[in-house]
Formats: sequence, structure tokens, C-alpha cells
Amino acid sequence: MLKELAFDGLLFSPLIIFIPLAFLLSCITRLVLYQTGLYHKLWREAWFEVGLFICYLALVIYLLGS
Amino acid sequence: MGKIFRISLTLIVVAVAGIAGHWIWSHYLYSPWTRDGRVRAEIITIAPDVSGWVNQLNVKDNQIVSKGDVLFTVDDTRYKATIAELNAKAESQKLAWELAKHKYKRRIGLTNDNLVSKETFDEAFINTELARTSYELAQAQLNTAQIDLARTQIHAPENGTLINLSLRNGNYVSKGNSVFSLVKQDSLYITGYFEETKIPLVHIGQNADVSLMSGGHVLHGKVTSIGKAIANTNVTTNGQLLPQIGQTFNWVRLSQRIPVDIQLDSIPKDIELSVGMTVSIQLQTDK
Repeated sequence: MLKELAFDGLLFSPLIIFIPLAFLLSCITRLVLYQTGLYHKLWREAWFEVGLFICYLALVIYLLGS
Repeated sequence: MGKIFRISLTLIVVAVAGIAGHWIWSHYLYSPWTRDGRVRAEIITIAPDVSGWVNQLNVKDNQIVSKGDVLFTVDDTRYKATIAELNAKAESQKLAWELAKHKYKRRIGLTNDNLVSKETFDEAFINTELARTSYELAQAQLNTAQIDLARTQIHAPENGTLINLSLRNGNYVSKGNSVFSLVKQDSLYITGYFEETKIPLVHIGQNADVSLMSGGHVLHGKVTSIGKAIANTNVTTNGQLLPQIGQTFNWVRLSQRIPVDIQLDSIPKDIELSVGMTVSIQLQTDK
């Protein structure tokens, strides 16, 4: 879980992989919502997107972290 | 789509995000892992039991040795001379004892004929005993000297690898002063320094995944013990014996770290583990 990534002796937080992954998932969701026209029907789109991003991040950590 | 549904959808997502965020935070803070583990081993320091010059050094730095191998020998001229001296002394004490016995036997005969006093007789008896104990003392000293002579050869106490050998032929070594150390074979273990917030999740027998900084295999092991004490810097004193109390960091509390020992199940042959290497440790939680 949250194992650090070693590149040439430098250790990096695994979040540098998890966050882009979660961001990618958010982008895909957003694209789909745009295409289907559901996006504009959302109440407070920004809240929804931030919330969704955190949910995706937790999901990615849960799936890949262990 | 109903307005209530739209509002509640966003609110639900935000609420779930709150829970998920909390989970990420506690996952990071309270899952039992540490980046700060070190490879350790049982180290034996080798010290001669006699003083003298090293006159034969049989080993090299980082050499693998077996239990009982002669590592080096200390010049034994002086110890041999001591033995010769004590041999002669023992011999002389033995003769003195014989003489005393002889005198005593003679006194027995004389006492029976009432030719010498009781006092002279007793004196002869005590002199015999005195000579006997002197002889025994000389024998014991000889025995000690023989132990010293035997200890001029320094043997490996265990199988292992020699470390930090800078000893050379001709160096003078002193009794009881370590000259190099020996890493006991197959005694490698891992010590991980876990933050105290994570200690409730650590228990003896727990499975541990150990990864080296150099990458490669993940090693497996089990927690064997959790350290029961670490030093408290607030109890150290200065030159005037005043306690040195650390400053306060209101609202910032640094967690202490507790050493946890992990025994490795097996070490793959292709991994070169050296004592002191850095490892990351992840303890498996049953949940």
C-alpha cells in the first residue's frame, strides 16, 4: 500500500501515478457526460467533479495500492 | 430530471468523496508501512584474550570463515617462557612438599619414642600441608599459563564473514580490545522503524513484505518483536547535570518511531544483502 516508486535511487510518492490515473478517469467521465448532454443538468458541476475526482482517487488507491 | 434528484446526486457524490478522502488520509497515516527499514545481523566482535604481537594472520577482509578456524595467532614466546618458569616452580614446590613429608614421617617415629615435643610434631604436620598447598598453587598457576598459551590462537566463534579487518602482521593487540567483527552467517534480519501511530496495527507474527531500495524481489518475513523502549531526549543532562528539555512545538507533535524486528523467511541466492541496507516494509493487515 502506498509503496514508494524508486527511479534511479530517488524515491517518489506513488501518488504521482495515482493522481494522473484518477484525473484521466475524471476526464473520461466528463467527456461522456458532455456527449450525452447530462453535464449541464448537474447541480453545481464543479462540486460534482471535485467529489468524483476524490472518489476515483480512492478507488485507484484501493485497487492498485495493495 | 427532477431538481431534487439533481441536487441529491451532487450531494451524494460530495458526501462519498468526503468519506473516500478520509479513508485515503487514514490509509496513508495508519497503514503499517515504513520507508525506513534497515538490514541488520548478529555481529560478533573478535578480541584476543591475550596481549602481544600478531605473528600470523590467516584471514583477509570480508573473508568467509567457519567456526573454529584459526583467525590469527599472537606471539607466544612470552607465554611459553611463563610456562617453563611455572613448570620449574611447580617442580620445586613438589620437592619441597616431598621434603616436608619426609620430615613429618621422621617426626612420627620420634614422637612415638617421646623424643620430640608435641609442638614440633604439629609443626611438621602443618609444614607438610603448607608445602602441599604451595604445590597446588603452583599447579594452578601453570594451568592458567597454559590457558593463556592456548588462547594465543584466536579461533572463529561462529560461521560468518569478517568485517573491517585492518589488522596486520606485527600489530600489537591488547587483551580484551576488539580488532574486527564477524557477521554471523544466516543471522540477517530487518529492523523497521514504525511511527507510534502505526504501532497498534503491528503485532507479532504478522506477515511483512520487504522491498530493497535497489528494487528486484520482494522478500517475505514475519514480525518477531516490537521494541519496548527508546531513549527520551528530555532526560539527558548537560555538563552541570541540568536536564535538557526540548523546546515546545505547540500544535506540532512529532511521532516517535519504534523499532520492529522482522525475520526473513528465506533470502534468495541471487540477492546480495549487506547489513545496513535500506528497505521499505509493508506489513500485511488481515482486513
